[in-house]
Amino acid sequence: MSSPITRRDVLLAGAGLAAASTLPRVAFAQDAGTFRIGTLCPITGAGSPFGSGMQKSIEAIVAEVNAAGGAGGRKLELFNEDSQTKPDAAVLAAKKLIEVNKVQAILGTWSSGVTLAVMPLTEAAGIIEMNCSGAPSISTLDTKDLVWRFQATNDRFGQAFAVIAEKRGYKRPATMAFNNASGIGNAEGFKKAWEKKGGKVVAGVVYEPNRPSYRTELQQVLAQKPDVIVTGSYLPDSTIILREWYQSGQPTQWIMPGWAANPDLVKAVGNEVVEGLISVDSVSNENAQSYKAYGAAYQKAAGKEGSTNVYAAMTWDMVMCLALAMEAAGRGATVAQINAKIRDVANPEGTKVYTFAEGKKLLGEKKKINYEGASSRLDFDQYGDVTPDFGMFVIEKGVLVRRDVISI
Amino acid sequence: MAITFIDVVNLLINGCIEGLLIALPTLALTLVMGIARFPNAATGDYMTLSAYAGIGVQALGTTSILLAGLGAIAAGAALSIVFYLWVFRALRGRAPVASLVASIGVAFFARSMLTLFVGHDQHTFAIPLVRAWNFGGIRLLPTDLYVAAVALLAMLLLFAMLHLTPIGRQMRAIADNPDLARACGIRSGRVLLALWATVGVLCALGGMMFGIKAVVSPEFGWELLIPAFAAMIVGGIGSPVGAVVGAVLLGVASELSVPIVGPSYKIAVAFGLLLLVLLVRPRGLFGRALVAR
Repeated sequence: MSSPITRRDVLLAGAGLAAASTLPRVAFAQDAGTFRIGTLCPITGAGSPFGSGMQKSIEAIVAEVNAAGGAGGRKLELFNEDSQTKPDAAVLAAKKLIEVNKVQAILGTWSSGVTLAVMPLTEAAGIIEMNCSGAPSISTLDTKDLVWRFQATNDRFGQAFAVIAEKRGYKRPATMAFNNASGIGNAEGFKKAWEKKGGKVVAGVVYEPNRPSYRTELQQVLAQKPDVIVTGSYLPDSTIILREWYQSGQPTQWIMPGWAANPDLVKAVGNEVVEGLISVDSVSNENAQSYKAYGAAYQKAAGKEGSTNVYAAMTWDMVMCLALAMEAAGRGATVAQINAKIRDVANPEGTKVYTFAEGKKLLGEKKKINYEGASSRLDFDQYGDVTPDFGMFVIEKGVLVRRDVISI
Repeated sequence: MAITFIDVVNLLINGCIEGLLIALPTLALTLVMGIARFPNAATGDYMTLSAYAGIGVQALGTTSILLAGLGAIAAGAALSIVFYLWVFRALRGRAPVASLVASIGVAFFARSMLTLFVGHDQHTFAIPLVRAWNFGGIRLLPTDLYVAAVALLAMLLLFAMLHLTPIGRQMRAIADNPDLARACGIRSGRVLLALWATVGVLCALGGMMFGIKAVVSPEFGWELLIPAFAAMIVGGIGSPVGAVVGAVLLGVASELSVPIVGPSYKIAVAFGLLLLVLLVRPRGLFGRALVAR
């Protein structure tokens, strides 16, 4: 049985062919037109005090880069996901970003657990990963040099803790660490640095998250009568621990990381409990022009001062480094070629630049540039890690007062 | 580190308090399990929302923890009844897994609505911090005693209700044999309303006590669900006495294990105990053998 070919069939086939022939071209045009960036900030969970601000900061700088004509001939396109500060949720979100949105970089992972969980995925996909995490192992697990860290490592935090403990004349420190890579990294970093100085850590516990009470853990540490307790902790657990310590009535001092000991902690436990507590955090590059630009943009985007969120300054710098590297790598560069340029645009030797427009202009004149970040000088070492300065804040009458800046 | 008798007593106290705290949601779980016959995964989120209601009362300008508690109880009972009428009533007579899945949905819904309106910041109840009473090294926190007293009182009232009032008797009848209860003319609609109100109150008290002791955050109730489930299974599913005993047993066991295995593994010890109980007595300490129909 044969059927004649009608005019309608021919038309249909022709239309189909025409449509099919345009398909690959459309896809190609899209690829060349934008650089796809996934954000994976901690909008919910333990990182939630910072996550929204981090994402807003990224949105603000992406808008600035696009307004300046994009980078390397391409506009930046954002895909936002929430890491929930949980590794399992972050892995799902990262998979979606990589497989569905086809992003070429993932920015803004915050907790070390999340970064460590997402790294294998970004590495397998051959895309760039930029984070604010502290776990020391991130440096060594990054075998393809695709991971860039904008926060000090926990090891460096530990060193800063040790410098402060020594300056303040403490003799019998103990440690308490939240059971994750970051918490333990802080405590271990401190122990290593302290023992190098010839000291001894009298007690140390690692505790579990989400407990209603940490009395038992405190009891173990306080039994050794430490004169200071150094923690690798977060806000909720620090709240419980400090309240229970205060109620126990045994005098000691505290040194805590800034992501735990912040104004929210003061609000939660009251001025009396935290009086004299030492909070240590990396400080932004406050005298740099780039910090001023970030501060103004953050104020506009989030309605708060830039100094309230050191991580938002870091995510600002992430986009900046990426965009400048894209510009340096030139039109149509692959992810690997862009990645190879990140150190070139951020590390010394070269004219210091503070904004994207400045950098783009100089790169156009084939000059070597050195981006000075809003979060730190931003000079990456061989692991892709930076060394910011640390601020020592003492809580006095409920206010965090900066008493010292420590360079390690 | 040498462990002294005083250390052990302190650990024992901590374990009892933590156990009593978990016992409240465990009771709520086990009651629903026994009477409505499904594991209610929204139990933790009822706690969370009630605690937030308590925080809300304090935010209105009062520092009275009693008023906050009453607000939490009212919110907990209302929430629990609303979700029963809205969701679980329609699923009666279906397989338990339908209600279980629905309860997971209720949990997500409740939590998402909460975070939509109040955000993710942590909150604490405004209560004065008082130093512990120190009896030669044995430390007793007034707050802890308060928490324990409220938990014990709530359990006492619950058991009085279950064993001394007509509605309690009807609840137990339905738990024993729903068909027989129905044949005897027990109107299950009323009984279930009473059940869900009770569940709401228990969750509210649990949430308040947890909030007073620790911090209130949108996820805390959900995180307590697994320990409560474990306590229910150890005690025997559907048995209120078992729920309390199971919760305290797990609390004490995990705290007492700290000097031996360290704080990181104390939760593992609790679950080890769970396995052991199930090996020796698969129905739990106070549970009856369940017959699958």
